[in-house]
Amino acid sequence: MPVDDVVLAASGDAAAFERVYRAHVPRVHGLARRMAGSDAADELTQDVFVRVWQKLGTFRGESAFGTWLHRLAVNVIVERFRTLGARRDRFLADGEPVLEVTPAPVRARPDLSMDLESAISELPDGARTIFVLHDVEGYRHEEIAGMLGISSGTSKSQLHRARQSLRGLLNRTANGPQRTPKTQVTQMRK
Amino acid sequence: MDDPLPGDDPLVAALASLRDEPPTADLWPGIAARLSAPPSSRRVVSLTLPQLAMAATLIIAVSAGVSWLALAPRPAATLPPEPAIRAVVEPGGAVQPDIQRATFADAQFDAAVADLERILREESQRLDPQTVMVIERNLRAIDDAIRESRAALDADPANTYLNSHLADARRRKLDLLRRAAGLSTGG
Repeated sequence: MPVDDVVLAASGDAAAFERVYRAHVPRVHGLARRMAGSDAADELTQDVFVRVWQKLGTFRGESAFGTWLHRLAVNVIVERFRTLGARRDRFLADGEPVLEVTPAPVRARPDLSMDLESAISELPDGARTIFVLHDVEGYRHEEIAGMLGISSGTSKSQLHRARQSLRGLLNRTANGPQRTPKTQVTQMRK
Repeated sequence: MDDPLPGDDPLVAALASLRDEPPTADLWPGIAARLSAPPSSRRVVSLTLPQLAMAATLIIAVSAGVSWLALAPRPAATLPPEPAIRAVVEPGGAVQPDIQRATFADAQFDAAVADLERILREESQRLDPQTVMVIERNLRAIDDAIRESRAALDADPANTYLNSHLADARRRKLDLLRRAAGLSTGG
């Protein structure tokens, strides 16, 4: 991404901003889709870039522009969760239905990536958010905790559960929908 | 990253295979419709020192890139005379009375550029395609630097560094065009 386009866009050049948009929309849309689901991804993506346009003047170049934009995207998406009335306790273990699937040996599948996208979409909201932020986008637990208003411990436990669920879901995809005698699904909700 | 996955975890391979794709529908029209106001009313567009240094380096590189062009002497009457670019300080309507922007004879510069571009356009078939490509690429680089300087001056019109930077970029554009036009007319 030429720094010229960012500078031009910051001065009001919409054509330059369109180039900025086209360069970054795949990653932003992917983030929105994985965190909030396919139905909300388009609208969230638009919200992100409108916010980027509004905040461009504050970008000082201390970090790479992509890093700055991505963090802004995460903030917009998390704000949407809050706006929709999601509460802190959606991230707490006690408030989350937890799927426990005892993993069986996983056989190789050529289309693991497609399976993972589908599996992520099946996770509960809180676990999905934390898994995407940590394992897909690379944020640390401390950063995630700050963004979501939860403790690092909650972030870690939710990540653990998300990973466990995903392994089970991927294995279920690999081996078909039938359950083995060792597999049990338990939902825990207080 | 804290809390990494074990290397043999099936999630590792699955994560590595994830791909980001643009949305199915083009979202830009909806975004463009919502861009009602400029990014910031303060218009704080300040090029950082690295960005200014990059623009300056670009100008130097353009000059170095065309230094190999043979300077064919031309009769003075064939090419428009190089205008004396001088600062013309005029009051700007939207700026404070004590801050005035130097325009560096816009009309004069534009007229000279237009004349030289016309000559280059009419005679460029006499140049080999590689030379034309180099000239056009270097002109684009200078135009980018001019545009960036103008954008920065919109926010900071009294900045003497930016004003001299813009004047320098314009002078180099004229210089490049004169040399290119001189080549194309087969001097």
